[in-house]
Amino acid sequence: MECYSEQKVSMFVDGELEVEESQHLRDHLAACSHCRRLLDALRAENRVLSESLQELPEHEFSLVGPFRSPWSIGWADVAVMALVLTIGSIVAPWIDHLSIPEALQWLNPMSLSGRTNLFFNLSYYFAHGGAAMLSDYAAFVGGLLLFLLLGGGVLLLGRRWRLQQPGLRMLTVLLVFSLPGFALERRHSEIVTVAARETIDDTLLATGNIVRVEGVVNGDLLAFGGTVEVRGTVKGDLVSFAKRTVVSGTVEGNIYDFSNSLDLDGQLGHSLYGLMQSLDVNDRGRVGEGVVVAAGDISLEGEVVRSATFYAGNTDVSGTVGRELTMAGDNLILTNTARVGGNLSARVRQLKNVHIADGATITGSRDIQLRVKENHFTRPKFYFYQAVWLAAAMLVGWLGLILFPGFFQASAHAVGSGWRSFGFGLGVLAGVPVAAFLIAITLVGFPVSLMLFAFYLTAIYLAKIWVGAFLGQKLLKPTEANKSDWLLGLLVGLLILTVIGFIPYLGGLVGFVVVCVGLGAFSWQLYRVSRRVITT
Amino acid sequence: MDGPDLDSLVQRAQAHDAGALGDIYRLYVRRVFGLCRYMLESREGAEDVTSEVFLKLQRSIESYDGSIPFPKWLLRVAANQCIDGLRRRKRASQVIVEAEEGIAVVETASPEPSPLGAILSTEERAQVRDAIARLPENYRVPLVLRYYGELSYDEIAQQMGLKKNYVAALIFRAKQDLRRKLSHRSQ
Repeated sequence: MECYSEQKVSMFVDGELEVEESQHLRDHLAACSHCRRLLDALRAENRVLSESLQELPEHEFSLVGPFRSPWSIGWADVAVMALVLTIGSIVAPWIDHLSIPEALQWLNPMSLSGRTNLFFNLSYYFAHGGAAMLSDYAAFVGGLLLFLLLGGGVLLLGRRWRLQQPGLRMLTVLLVFSLPGFALERRHSEIVTVAARETIDDTLLATGNIVRVEGVVNGDLLAFGGTVEVRGTVKGDLVSFAKRTVVSGTVEGNIYDFSNSLDLDGQLGHSLYGLMQSLDVNDRGRVGEGVVVAAGDISLEGEVVRSATFYAGNTDVSGTVGRELTMAGDNLILTNTARVGGNLSARVRQLKNVHIADGATITGSRDIQLRVKENHFTRPKFYFYQAVWLAAAMLVGWLGLILFPGFFQASAHAVGSGWRSFGFGLGVLAGVPVAAFLIAITLVGFPVSLMLFAFYLTAIYLAKIWVGAFLGQKLLKPTEANKSDWLLGLLVGLLILTVIGFIPYLGGLVGFVVVCVGLGAFSWQLYRVSRRVITT
Repeated sequence: MDGPDLDSLVQRAQAHDAGALGDIYRLYVRRVFGLCRYMLESREGAEDVTSEVFLKLQRSIESYDGSIPFPKWLLRVAANQCIDGLRRRKRASQVIVEAEEGIAVVETASPEPSPLGAILSTEERAQVRDAIARLPENYRVPLVLRYYGELSYDEIAQQMGLKKNYVAALIFRAKQDLRRKLSHRSQ
């Protein structure tokens, strides 16, 4: 009698043989001790396999343990919220005391222009002085950085931490990037003064109700405060977030100003970029290069050596612009003493709001046009831009789905929690600018704050994608959710949101809710992931 | 939990009761994660798939009809998700390609008692798991589905898009490979 193959016996042990074949094998086993031994060995082997597999080691589960149910809010969450509220209520009066929120009005994320201008300014900051400045800091702390990286690396390896988690990776990157922030000389008090005979060789980060520079700062000056006054000299750039900024001394680099008001009485070596309520360049003020400013009121009595670009409600020019003067806004006045070395171009709503005195000198051409608010639905360009926007959003959605499939889908899914996402999103929307501001002045440093902002803007952009994806899925209800269904859902959702966006008033309201809900879902998801990472 | 309790829990979940979904999550997350962890190479991937399974459960649970025990159904859903993930990543390499070649069932008679037969200590069990993790994917996946997920050969064949005989051969070869790996280690 011929024995059965091991594979057949194995299938028998697994209960996978046909009834008839099983019966034959059973008959054979009764007579064959060799096959019986094999059978026993295979049974034992199966048991070993099952037992070994069932006993997944605890360290693997340490990740699963703190996984939170996606459908319930636990007491821990309530505690975290309470803590945030408590800290917020302690910190809020202090910020209020500094009277800074007014100066930061332009940061209001509800205003589209605020967002876009912020983005523009930040990119410019990084493209020019910013990036160079950061690399200087990096060089300065190079040794420390290397030490930390090596030490940290050894520590992580030693503890068998794996840098696989996106949250941990992000934390590491943030930490590494933020290190240069420590290289700043920082001063924080009610009144920060750099005395007349004092020289600071480094970049100075100053925060206080009054920041006054009477001496010399050889690096850049980053100032946050109620009033920032430069009476002495700043050899680098001046970056000011203040209620009022007064420059009566000299800034040899550029000025990036995000104040309520800026008075320039002194000398500026290069250019001025800013977003503010009012700009006053008085007759002693001189800008070595150009000016690009968006403001409520602009008064130019002094000199701008190169061109000036103003986006302003009211623009009064009685001083000199060396080259072109470009203006868009409501009112433009050029007095008798005004001189424009190049062309004058202006976009205004009504021609009667432009007053050019007879004595004003304009070397180039005058190009004054009415800004007619035409119906954008009649312009083909409008549809083209909408299509480009939609394509870009689809591309971003697709990339996100490829790179972070779980996270992206979970974020879109989290939109479904409605009120929780909305509330959470509202908090994040309002809280992040404040947090970024606090980080900039107190905690880890300016670079982190800028990165947080960039991240924040990205999330606001992504909010619409998540809400769109969720909406599309709700409507299409694909049976098997694969990538192409998800993307189709996204397209449908985005189209609906875009169309709703055109409805006056309601569109704006829906847009706001979409941003809140999407941002909330994203933050919630990020919070869940980070909790998992932190507990490892 | 089993029997009527589990039934009512599942019914409540099917009626979109968030609490019931949360309970199912707590009850089965470890088991599902375990399956994903064995089937996929990275812990991160296993976490993602686990989250995905439970996130989709809200809708997919509607299709559960009670014809098989719920835990088994859930593991099948998870296995499906893992195999999808593997396919996507591998662009239909190993697992699927060999299947189409229709390799005959390997018949080897080896009366040697299995080296895995003895009762194992915790450490030895860890060695077994380690060896399983080092198996090629096309061996590891059916082995894990059978001895962790407790799926039948037919169910595995259906999940992986293979013939039943081929699944039997893969599981058999997986065991042989495992024995080789473990006997090398013990020498």
